[in-house]
Amino acid sequence: MDTLGFLLDGFMVALTPANLMWVTIGGLLGTIIGMLPGLGPATGVAVLLPLTFSMGPTAALITMGGVYYGAMFGGSRASILINTPGDGAAVAATFDGYPMTQQGRAESALAISAISSFFGGIFATVCMVAIAIPVARFALKFGPAEYFMLFLFALSATAAMSEGNRLKGFIATIFGLMIATIGIDGQSGVIRFSMGILELQSGIDFLIIIIAVYALGEVFKSFKNIDSGKAKVQTNFGKIWISMEDWKRSVWPILRSAPLGFFVGALPGAGGTMASLMAYNNEKQLSKHPEEFGEGAIEGLAAPESANNAASVGAMIPMLTLGIPGSGTTAVMMGALLLLGQQPGPMLFQQQPLIVWGLIASMFIGNIILAVINIPLAGVLVRVLSVPPKILYPIVLGLSFVGAYAISYSVMDFYILVIFGLVGYFMSKAKFPTTPMILAVIVGNNMEQSFRRAYKIADGDVGIFFGSPICLILFTLTIISIFYPLLRGYFIKRKAGKA
Amino acid sequence: MSLSVLPSLLFFVLGLVYTTATVMLPDASIGRAYEPKIFPFMLGFILLVLSLGLIARELKEVRGKNEKESAPPFYKESGFNKILMTCVFAVLYALIFNKAGYVISTIIFLELELILFNGKENWKVNTAVALVFSLFIYIIFSKVLGVFLPLTPGLWI
Repeated sequence: MDTLGFLLDGFMVALTPANLMWVTIGGLLGTIIGMLPGLGPATGVAVLLPLTFSMGPTAALITMGGVYYGAMFGGSRASILINTPGDGAAVAATFDGYPMTQQGRAESALAISAISSFFGGIFATVCMVAIAIPVARFALKFGPAEYFMLFLFALSATAAMSEGNRLKGFIATIFGLMIATIGIDGQSGVIRFSMGILELQSGIDFLIIIIAVYALGEVFKSFKNIDSGKAKVQTNFGKIWISMEDWKRSVWPILRSAPLGFFVGALPGAGGTMASLMAYNNEKQLSKHPEEFGEGAIEGLAAPESANNAASVGAMIPMLTLGIPGSGTTAVMMGALLLLGQQPGPMLFQQQPLIVWGLIASMFIGNIILAVINIPLAGVLVRVLSVPPKILYPIVLGLSFVGAYAISYSVMDFYILVIFGLVGYFMSKAKFPTTPMILAVIVGNNMEQSFRRAYKIADGDVGIFFGSPICLILFTLTIISIFYPLLRGYFIKRKAGKA
Repeated sequence: MSLSVLPSLLFFVLGLVYTTATVMLPDASIGRAYEPKIFPFMLGFILLVLSLGLIARELKEVRGKNEKESAPPFYKESGFNKILMTCVFAVLYALIFNKAGYVISTIIFLELELILFNGKENWKVNTAVALVFSLFIYIIFSKVLGVFLPLTPGLWI
């Protein structure tokens, strides 16, 4: 079977001493960034991106993969110990994780979080191995019209997922697409929307926007709480492990939540936050003791931790096989791949199998290394939490600027960084979701090029966008993703009216 | 007028400006003349429709809500001054970056940021953090990773 052969080749790549070192360093740094309140995996990868500039694409992706999982691990440390989640995906870990710490069960909480994350991650990686090649093969059938419809579906699904703010989600998406149209048009050479500024003729680098929104914007949001003083963190622990009783309670929730997380993560736009909240609610409904949830029930921590790590792996599938990022973090990784001259998508599997399979193999290794780092070294790592944010946030700012400079070697990008940092901050203040905007900025150019190519092939006939079964299915999915929440709301109201 | 309508109004104005700029784009000299305008025109049009919808929704919500219920505006929140100051420091950083070199300009930027957050009285910690961070990043990036960073004139770094 060729998948196993590729995977073995991938392990050969991932197990080289250099790559092992990179995944460990990435994991450690990611854990530290992830522990900072408000900063999650997307920020971690964005800020640490420059580390990978001198690496080859495989080592760069492996390092970023390590940062990604590391930040997920780190996010839950902060949730469990000081009740401040690093990002949305770690919110569910506060529900039962922090009560466990208050009850003096921090050791069990840290251990179960690492164990469930490990299982979730490994399970999802196995699933990924099984389905990556079939999806990539299927995607080879896509022409420009199919790709355009796929982009349309991915973006509308992401915007529609913005709970309660769908209209704002769609506006943010269009705004992102508009940013992507700035600069010289690749097909006609016409300079668009550069406002006479020379530096804008080549367009705004999406990596700068990512760093601006995910690093600067998030740090700006945290300024409000920066003076709240340092949190009291428990740094002395007993043996970080769990009892047999804890394990019995957690094993099924972990096993049930991993497939759920993987599936939700692979959907465009859903991501770790939704996966972990769904897993939590699911377990609460299935539990014989739902009243213990929120009071320190270990399965209430195990389930979301397993789901969100599985989701983080699931989110890589659309990015690697189709070239469509499913989450903020995979968007950053895709940006980095493009910077390294690699176009994610089905052709990447054919042309650069070692890059893809090296990354997949490193997911296995990365999950093992992180579990090893996070269980015995938890006491050392959490000391980061006792460094006051007043010192850590200026450092994150410093990293953002050097990262932006290393991308283009232009100080002009400092201004763009500040402007979009403010844009990100104000958008969040006005409750406009920023992730749909980031995804749109990244896929915008490809989306327009697909549209134009299809338009040219059909000689100006827009019927091409509805001409194949794949197009029609994607169009139907787009319509469903837009109207499903409305229909659901209508049915819920009707049901409530009848009751 | 309530502040909550402002963002949707801004997006509406952006839609207007963007659509106008699209119409005024030069024609393509190869292929169909209007081709570079199709996609942006769709975006501009959709943004106009969506932002009008949002304005209508926000106005409806504003009417239904008591004035007392609304949260204080963002510029009165604690921390907003610090955001503005950080932006000023960042512009200063950009202005001196190439002239003073990476290490010196970063020390200045971080020192200013740390004074802003950590206070003048902790100047020893602030200076130590600024120095160590700048030199550490310089060595890692410039010497280990081979990323070019501007040098300080007259110094070896």
